[in-house]
Amino acid sequence: MRDEDVIVLEEPQLSAAERLYLPQILDGVKTTLRHTFSVKNRKQVVRQYPEDTRQGRGELRLANYRGVHRLNKDPDGRVACVACFMCSTACPAHCIHIEAGESPWPDREKYPVKFDIDELRCIYCGMCEEACPVDAIELTPNYELVGLTRAEMIFDKEKLLQVYEETKDVKPRKNPPVTDYGLTGGQSKDVAQPNVERKV
Amino acid sequence: MPKIIIDGQEIECRPGIPVLQAALEAGMDIPHYCYHPGLKIVASCRLCLMEMKMPHPKTKEMAWAPKLFPSCQTPAKDGMEVRFDSDAVRANVRHVMEYYLLNHPLDCPVCDKAGECYLQDYTEDHGSAASRMVDEKQKNPKKDIGPQTLLYSDRCVLCSRCVRFCDEISGTSELRVINRGSRGEIDVFPGRPLDNALQGNVVELCPVGALLDKEFLFRQRVWTLKTTKSISPVDSRGQSIYIDYNEEGIHRIRPRFNEKVNEWWISDEARFGWKHVHRDDRLNQPRVRGSDGLVPQRWEELPEFLRKRLADAAKQVSDSVAVVLSPMMSCEEAWLLAKAVRDVAPQAVLFHGFVPVVGEDRTFPKGFVVKAEKCPNRRGIETICEHLGGNTANWGDFLGMASSGKIKAAYVVGGYPNEWLTSEAVAAIGQVEFLVVQDLFPTALTEHAAVEIPSVSWTEREGMFMNCDGLLQEFERALNPLEGTKADGQFFFELAGNVGLFRAKKVREEMAAALPVFADVFIPQELPEHAH
Amino acid sequence: MKSILYDKTTQAIENTLRNPLVLIVAALVLGAAALVPLWMLFPYYRWLLSDPFWFPIIVMGVMLKVILTSTAVCILAERKLASFTQDRHGPNRVGFWGLLQPMADGLKFFLKEDITPANVDKPIFMLAPVLALITALIGFAIIPWAGDVHWPWMPEGEVVRTQVASLNIGILYMLAVGSLGVYGIVLGGYASNNKYSFFGGMRATAQMISYELPLGLALLSVLLVSGTVRPELIVDTQATTGMWYVFYQPIAFFIVLVCTFAEANRTPFDLAEAEQELVGGFHTEYSSMKFAMFFLGEYAHIVTGSAIMVALFFGGWHCWGLTSAADTSWIGMLIKLNVYFAKVAAFVLFFMLIRWTIPRFRFDQLMRICWLGLVPLGIALLAGTAILVALGWQHNLWASLGMNLVLLVLTLIYTARSTVPVTGRQTDLPEIQVRPA
Repeated sequence: MRDEDVIVLEEPQLSAAERLYLPQILDGVKTTLRHTFSVKNRKQVVRQYPEDTRQGRGELRLANYRGVHRLNKDPDGRVACVACFMCSTACPAHCIHIEAGESPWPDREKYPVKFDIDELRCIYCGMCEEACPVDAIELTPNYELVGLTRAEMIFDKEKLLQVYEETKDVKPRKNPPVTDYGLTGGQSKDVAQPNVERKV
Repeated sequence: MPKIIIDGQEIECRPGIPVLQAALEAGMDIPHYCYHPGLKIVASCRLCLMEMKMPHPKTKEMAWAPKLFPSCQTPAKDGMEVRFDSDAVRANVRHVMEYYLLNHPLDCPVCDKAGECYLQDYTEDHGSAASRMVDEKQKNPKKDIGPQTLLYSDRCVLCSRCVRFCDEISGTSELRVINRGSRGEIDVFPGRPLDNALQGNVVELCPVGALLDKEFLFRQRVWTLKTTKSISPVDSRGQSIYIDYNEEGIHRIRPRFNEKVNEWWISDEARFGWKHVHRDDRLNQPRVRGSDGLVPQRWEELPEFLRKRLADAAKQVSDSVAVVLSPMMSCEEAWLLAKAVRDVAPQAVLFHGFVPVVGEDRTFPKGFVVKAEKCPNRRGIETICEHLGGNTANWGDFLGMASSGKIKAAYVVGGYPNEWLTSEAVAAIGQVEFLVVQDLFPTALTEHAAVEIPSVSWTEREGMFMNCDGLLQEFERALNPLEGTKADGQFFFELAGNVGLFRAKKVREEMAAALPVFADVFIPQELPEHAH
Repeated sequence: MKSILYDKTTQAIENTLRNPLVLIVAALVLGAAALVPLWMLFPYYRWLLSDPFWFPIIVMGVMLKVILTSTAVCILAERKLASFTQDRHGPNRVGFWGLLQPMADGLKFFLKEDITPANVDKPIFMLAPVLALITALIGFAIIPWAGDVHWPWMPEGEVVRTQVASLNIGILYMLAVGSLGVYGIVLGGYASNNKYSFFGGMRATAQMISYELPLGLALLSVLLVSGTVRPELIVDTQATTGMWYVFYQPIAFFIVLVCTFAEANRTPFDLAEAEQELVGGFHTEYSSMKFAMFFLGEYAHIVTGSAIMVALFFGGWHCWGLTSAADTSWIGMLIKLNVYFAKVAAFVLFFMLIRWTIPRFRFDQLMRICWLGLVPLGIALLAGTAILVALGWQHNLWASLGMNLVLLVLTLIYTARSTVPVTGRQTDLPEIQVRPA
C-alpha cells in the first residue's frame, strides 16, 4: 500500500451542546415523534399480507423470484429429469434426494424413480436450477409455502410435477426442451436446435 | 537400476518396465488407455506417444527423432532420453482426443462412469470444448453381454483391455473386437455371454463408461461415495478391496492392488460378496433367555452377566467351558474373546470354528487363484489357539464333546454370510446347557441359545485377517454398526473387563508383544497416482 | 398453491374478533359478570373497606392485579409505539387494533416448552425470575395512590389511606428494594451456566451499583426540600402547596430519570441484554413462563419507577383544579387514582419513546456518564440544596431555580471545556519504555 492510499481522518470535534448530549436526545425524540404520528408514511410503506399480496400490486418479478421448486415436463408430458444427480450434488443444503432407474422410454437412459426435495432444508439458492443439464428443475415464483407437518414439506416427484402444472402459465419452461439425452447421443447441436427432426 | 531422462529429469526405474510405467511411477500424468501393467501391451490407443533421442542416421549424433514412439511399448533402457513435454506430443494428444470424441455421446450426466472416467479427465486436460464433426455420430447399440455386465458400444474407445483380460487373466476369451475402422466394436460370440468367475474386473479395466456393472447401474454417482480399504472375507486368500459406500450403505466393491495376493483383480465372489450386509433379517439386539423365551437385554449388562455365568460353569467341571472361535473373526477379536473367557474359566477349551469349503481351488492362467476355503482367517485362529495353549481342538471335536454332554457352557461365534449349520451340528450343540451364540443371522441354534448376541459384518469392524499363506493383512471399518448392534471387537473388549473404546491398533500391539508373528502386518504398495 | 394456514375458518374467526362491536359487547358482558356480584354483596363486605387493617390489603390485591395487567398492556403499547416510530402498523391481527394481542402473548408464553438446560444451577435458576418479578412488585407498597378516603358509612372525621404500607422509612425502602432488583438478573446470569448470560449479569451488577449513587444523591436533595421520607407526606405537601418538587429541583428530577432508566435496564442502558453482543444476555437460557417473569419484571420495574418519580416530583395524585387533599370523598379518590395513573402512563410512554430514539451506550460510556457526569452533578446539587436549607430558602422557588440554573451553567462550562473525546479514543498514548535486555 502506498502512502497516498492512506487517508487519515480526524475525529470530529463535538460542540458543547453535543457534549451535553441532551439537545441531541431531544432532536432524536423529535424525529421519533414525527414518524409516530405520520399515518401517511405507514400506509404507504406497509402492505397488509395476506389480503394485499405483491402479485396483487403487480410488482413481483415473476421470472426472477426463487420460490418452491418444480419438476418440468417435456412436450410429451413425461418428467424431463434424467436423474443425473447434478442438482443434488450442487445443493449446498443437501435437500434433494433422487433414486434413479432405467427409464421406460426408448429415447431416454435414466429417469428419476423417486425425486424428493425437503423444502424445509432448502435455502432457495437456485444452484439446482443452474446445475440441471436439461432444465428440468426450476424454482417458481410461488412463495406461499406452508405445511402443518415436516413430512408434508418433503415434496415428492408427483407434487413437484403438480407444481409445474400450476405454474407453467405464470412462468413457462425456460429453455427449449431436450428429449433425447441418453441413448441417442444428445449431440450438442440438438440442444441448440431443438426443433430439428431427429432419427432415433 | 536403469536411469532414464524424462523431460530433462533423471529418473531411476525398475529394470524391464516400459517408459510409460517408469513415468507413471515417477508421478507424471501421462494419458493412456490401452496400457495396463497386468496385461499384454498392444500400443493401440496412441495417447502415450513420446519423443525420443536417437542417433542421427548420418551424423550419428543423438537428436530428437522426428517420429513419435509409444512409451508403453518402449522398454526403459539406461541412459535413454525422452520427452512428453513438447509441442509434437501435445499436438498428438490433442488430435487423438478429438478423434476419440468424434463419436462419443455427450451423455456424461447419465453415464455411471462420470467422475472416474478417463475420457472425461483427459478431455478436460487435453481436449477441446467444441467438436468439428459435422456428420451424424456413429451410434452403436447398447448390448447385454452377460449376466452381470452391460456394454454401451457408443462409449467405447476400443482400448481392448477387456478383450486382453478375458484372453490372458480369466483365460475364457469371451470378448472380441468385431468389424473394423469406425465401425469397430466389442462383442461376445453368439450364445457365449461374458460369464466367468473374474468377469467383473472388466468394468474397472474399462477407462470409459462402456462396460458397466448391472448391480451398480444407476445406483449412485461415484462422487457421492466414500471409499475404505478393506480385505474381502469371501475366501481364504484375503483379496484386497475398496468398499465404496455412503450413508445409505455399501454400493459396490472394487479391487485394490496387492502385489502378493490378488494384484489388480478380484473374483466376482469378492465383488458381490457384500449383499448379506444389508439383509433385512440381521440380528440387531442381544437377547437372553428368560422364563418366556429370549427377551431383549441391554448391552451394558451383558459382559458382567456372561462373565458370571461362564465362571459358574467353570466351577462345576474344570474343562466344561468351550469357546468356538469362528474363522470369520479377526485376529484381534479372537484374541480378546479367548483371553476374556480364559480369564473367568482358565481351563476353557478353545475350538477352531467351522471352516466352510466349497468345491476346489481354481487357478487361472496367470496365477490368480480362487480358493475353495470360504473364510478369511482360519490360519489366524489356529495361530492364536496354538499360542494361548491349554486345551484346543477343532470343530469336529467340539461337536463330539458337545453331543456327549461334556460341555456345560459354550460361546459359539458364527458370522458366516450363509447358512452354515448341519442338522447334526445343531443337535450336538443343543446338548450344551448354557449356550451363547453370536451370529449375524438367526440360525437353528437360536432355539437352544441361552444368550443370543448380534455380530456385525466385516464392513462394520476393523482388524486383521491371516490368509491361507500366513500373510497378515489389515482392514478398516467402512460402515457404522447396524443400529442396535455393537462391533464384535468392542463387545469382546468390554467382556475382557476393559472400559473405553476398542482400537484394533492397541490390541494389535499387545498381541505383537506376546507373539511376534502379529507384528508383521503386510501393507500392499500404492499404485502410482495417475496409473489406472 | 393455496395457503393452508390461512383458510376461511381462520379468517372468519379473525374478522369476528377484529370487529370493535364484538369486543365492546364482550367487555361489557365480562365486566358485568364480575361487577354485579361485587355490587350485590357490597353491604356484606363494605366494613372491610373502612377497616384500617383490611383496606391496605384490598388496595394491595387490586393494585397487584392492575400492575400485572398493565405490564401486559405495556407490552402491547411498546410494540405499537415501536411500529409507529418505524412506520409500521404493529400487532393488528388479534382483536380490533390488535387489542387482544396481550392475551395471545400470554397464551403463547404458557404454551411454550419450558426448558431447563443441563448443567444449570437449578435452585438459583428457578429462583432468579421470581426474584426479578417480586422485587419489582413490592416497590408498590409505599406508593400513596389516591390520598385519604372517607367512606360514607364511616364515622365523621375518620379516613383510610389508599396505600399498602405507610412506612416511616418510605423512600429508603424504595432504594433498598431497587437494589435487590439486580439480584434476579445477576443470579439468572450466573445460574444459566452460559458465558453470555454471565456477562449480562455482571454488566447489570456494575451498572446498578454505579447508578444507585447519583440516584441516592438526587433523592437526598428532594428529601432535604420535603423534610420527610414518607412518600404520602411528600405528596400531601406538594398537593397542599400546589408546587411540585420538579419546579424546585429540575436537575434532581433529571438525574433520577436517568437512573431509573438504568435501574430498570431500559434502552439506552440495557447492556445486560445487549442482543448483538450477548445473544439474550442474562435471559438467554430462559424460556416460557420463566422468561415471561423476567419480562413482566422489567415492565413492572418501569411502572414502579414511574410511580415513584410521579410521587416525588410530580405531585402524585395532585392536579390543579381537579383534586385536593381536602376532598376525601370516594369519587374524589377515583379521580385522584386516575390522575396518578395518567401521570404514570405518560412516564411509561416516555420510557418507550426514548427506547426507540437512542441507541444503546457502550459500557465505558455508560460508566463515564455515571461517574464523571451524574455523580459530580449530584454532589454539587446536594451541596447547593444543603446551603439553601441552611439559609431556610428551600421552599423559595426562585432561590431553588437559581441554584439549579447556576449548576446548569457550570455543567455547560465544564462540558464545553472538556477535551476528552466522546468516542473514548485515547489520542496521545505515552510511548512505551522498553527496558534494555
